Amino acid sequence: MSSVNATTFTIVVVLFVLVTGIGFAAARWRRAADMMHLDEWGLGGRGFGTFITWFLLGGDLYTAYTFIAVPALVFGSGSIGFFAVAYTILVFPIVLIFLPRLWSVSRVHGYVTPADFIRGRYGSRGLALAAAFTGILALMPYIALQLVGIQSVLQVMGVNANSANSFVKDLPLIIAFLVLAVFTYVSGLRAPAMIAFVKDTLIYVFVLVAIFYLPTRLGGWSHIFGAAQTHFTSINPKTGKPFGTFVPSSGSVGATRFDFASLALGSAVALFLYPHAITGTLAAKRRSAVKRNMVLLPAYSVLLMLIALFGYMAVADPVTSANIKKAGGNAQLAVPFLFQHLFPSWFTGIAFAGIIIGALVPAAIMSIAAANLFTRNVFKEFFKPDASPRLQTQMSQWASLVVKLGALLFAIELPHTFSINLQLLGGVWILQLAPMMIGGLFTRWFHRWALLTGWFAGMIYGTIAAYNVATPTTSHWAGSSDIVFGHSIYIGLTAVIINLVIVVILTPVLRAVRAPEGPDETLPQQYTAEPDEVRGTTPAGVGAHLEG
Amino acid sequence: MTEPPVRRQSPVAAHPVTSAAITVLFIALIFFVLYTPIYSSVTPKVGSWPFFYFYLLIFMPITSVVLGLVLLLQKRMAPPADGEVGR
Repeated sequence: MSSVNATTFTIVVVLFVLVTGIGFAAARWRRAADMMHLDEWGLGGRGFGTFITWFLLGGDLYTAYTFIAVPALVFGSGSIGFFAVAYTILVFPIVLIFLPRLWSVSRVHGYVTPADFIRGRYGSRGLALAAAFTGILALMPYIALQLVGIQSVLQVMGVNANSANSFVKDLPLIIAFLVLAVFTYVSGLRAPAMIAFVKDTLIYVFVLVAIFYLPTRLGGWSHIFGAAQTHFTSINPKTGKPFGTFVPSSGSVGATRFDFASLALGSAVALFLYPHAITGTLAAKRRSAVKRNMVLLPAYSVLLMLIALFGYMAVADPVTSANIKKAGGNAQLAVPFLFQHLFPSWFTGIAFAGIIIGALVPAAIMSIAAANLFTRNVFKEFFKPDASPRLQTQMSQWASLVVKLGALLFAIELPHTFSINLQLLGGVWILQLAPMMIGGLFTRWFHRWALLTGWFAGMIYGTIAAYNVATPTTSHWAGSSDIVFGHSIYIGLTAVIINLVIVVILTPVLRAVRAPEGPDETLPQQYTAEPDEVRGTTPAGVGAHLEG
Repeated sequence: MTEPPVRRQSPVAAHPVTSAAITVLFIALIFFVLYTPIYSSVTPKVGSWPFFYFYLLIFMPITSVVLGLVLLLQKRMAPPADGEVGR
């Protein structure tokens, strides 16, 4: 590992300090009379228009881990990594079908978390707890992976490579984390919303420059695609099989067309079941702002396509490939090594700062989302039903610190593969909320106990199936797809189909034996409502809006 | 989206053509990404881009435009106040 490049390092530090300042200043942005309310700290006042929501959601969904992991997957396996591109295309039409309904009903009833909606719709604390538990479980490793993303940039920069002392080695990461934790505590969702402007600008600049500049250094697109095609169709002597695929194969097992489509579909449905995506959505001021964003957000997907292609550029660049091999074959380093080798050091600094800041925005929103779930659906629900808005906000502030501390321990203490496996599982888990969340937005036909049983079965099946995936080089957790009826398919999709079948079979059974249905506090027209006021007009507040 | 609450006259019943158009657009967007055999091939190449990669690249702006169209159509179905409640 080379020593630290002063130019790169200085630019990263300057941009980081700038963003820290913005994070603290954000507390004063769009200030409300009473900031000690979850609508303020946790949802930024529920007042963001189309423009801010676009930056916030873009900053939220396209994480640093995306910039690192998608090219890493492409570098390692070829075309299957592009499922991430297909999935970000699919996600917007799918989400436009149900997300505006979630926004409306949440606004009418003052729901802060997805589990609040479950609670209100099915009158079931247990089902809401299951939703909150799944959300927190899926978010923890996701936050940890943001820190892993920062680590891989720092490693290539050389700031933490040479020390034997593990504390010194991780010191830059710990500092970055502390700064993140404190400004999230102080400013809530306003901080990532404001920082997202800087993040997205940096990312757009470096990706667009890279996409026009790098091919000129690597012999043009035809050489990049040619090198990738040669590499992925050649035989790996270790396994006796090709290194990967250049386009999804037409067979039934492996990186097939079917597998590609199932990964894209499963991930697309899962994305807006993640609590942090819903937090970003509920912070929007109007229903139309949510809808318009589904039209405008695909601009980010174009970016993701270009980012995925960095994986092929790393294949086409012999120096980058050699560097990755030298670092133990860690494909996560593909993008940092590629930039370091081909960009002048000042521009590498901008790109690296973009990735690091790109980790802070989603990590902040995720910790806020997880904290809100804990406060609303565990603390308030089971321990202190009469918690005032002020107490709830304080609880969330502290919970966000705890969540981030947990993620930091994950990132530092556990091997990275463990975090990556857990994140893979997180997607499978979060998808199990689809019947109760998406189903619940359209129909009250499903019985709450059937939903709980289906959810449980999906969670268990998904976890076991993911554990059992093996390759010649890895015995467990080797991927997100397993073989069902002779076809490779995304585990999350199989699990949610099992989940749904159980729900559909059990619902009539439970109804026949007259199992209690639970009250539904929502009304059909509330799913399409566009309330004018943020607070005060809610006809049937759920206690969150009792001023106190 | 095409299944709003059954009220006196649902927007779907009031605008059968528009709602059918919206449904078709949604299905088409999802189908042309999910049905991978259409585009999972190296040839024909567009410039130096293999077809698979070119297809994914241009499908994104197409999604954006089609969804924009859907919003316009939806506006036509529910004029001028966007919701039935609250106003």
